[in-house]
Amino acid sequence: MTDARTKRVTDVAVGEEIPPVAFPLTVYRLVMAAGANRDFNSIHHNTEHARATGAPEMYANTLFLMGMWERAVRDWMGPGGTFTAIRGFRMRRFNTAGRTTTVRGRVMAVDRANGLVTLGLRCEDDDGVTVGPGEVDVRLPPSDHDHTPSDPDLATRG
Amino acid sequence: MTESERSGTEADIRPSWVRAWDAMVALVGTDLSDGHVDWGADRVEEGTVRRYVEPLELGSPLHHDEAAARAHGFDGLVAPWTSLISYTLPPMWGPGQDPLFASADRDAQPVRSPIANPEEGPAPRTRGFFATDMEIDFLRPVVVGERLGRRGRRLLSCTPKETRVGRGAFATFESEIVSDRGDVIARVRNTSYAYDPHPHPHPDREEDR
Repeated sequence: MTDARTKRVTDVAVGEEIPPVAFPLTVYRLVMAAGANRDFNSIHHNTEHARATGAPEMYANTLFLMGMWERAVRDWMGPGGTFTAIRGFRMRRFNTAGRTTTVRGRVMAVDRANGLVTLGLRCEDDDGVTVGPGEVDVRLPPSDHDHTPSDPDLATRG
Repeated sequence: MTESERSGTEADIRPSWVRAWDAMVALVGTDLSDGHVDWGADRVEEGTVRRYVEPLELGSPLHHDEAAARAHGFDGLVAPWTSLISYTLPPMWGPGQDPLFASADRDAQPVRSPIANPEEGPAPRTRGFFATDMEIDFLRPVVVGERLGRRGRRLLSCTPKETRVGRGAFATFESEIVSDRGDVIARVRNTSYAYDPHPHPHPDREEDR
């Protein structure tokens, strides 16, 4: 079952922009993220250590950055969608404490027959792209009209 | 007459830091693991899901409300898709193991860490390490109660390169995330850069990655 907040594949059009999500990166937040996803590499929570390895400042870790893409896509598609792939997640520049990383994206392709949608995603800061551009594939429910309790999309979950 | 002229072979003029990666480059295409599963420290739990979503401010009911998740067709409270690798990380420390923290120096590193470039094979030991690329195929959702592990470490590529932060190599590995339910739930291809930092680094950006 899906609710009214869930986007359906018939609602989606190529070129549609997803709402951007901004992530102000404070030391506090980076420490929370490291503790939560257990990437305790000191480059993600220790300025001196990060600088000793060539970075200008401590910076967000991979799982935190991938989670930013998940948050932006989830906010857009609602609880009825599932993720099937992340590709092209290239961390081009450091997402450092003291800056704001914003996730932006748009719909690149829609396969209505199979409920598949490909979104183009990227992280940006004031100087441009920091991560990506890459792609996220999601599976969305069919239209309300098509939806039945035997919907194979739902039957294959969990 | 030079040694190469005497021997009739072409001199290897590559820098020593590039040649140091030859043994690793020779292993491209092979699995550097023995095929065992490295199981994560903890099962997927409601509390660790909550902690994962907090810094992301990810408010989907799939991750906060089991009843809502089930109402959307899932088999329980759902782990964020991007959190799966986190649930494959072994513990930092366990009973009977040697201490992790052997120094009171402010920036001293733990004696060991499951994320510090494990199973490096013959790669040179380096002082710097970070991830650069990630690709994941998600085969199904994961719910609270499952235990996840990582299997395989196939080396897909290894390319020595000097960047603004140092000298080292980019290496891409492929692995599977498995569940204690007995199936593969994701396939991961990740690239990292292992390097020795330049003596006086002052980069603003890492465009050479």
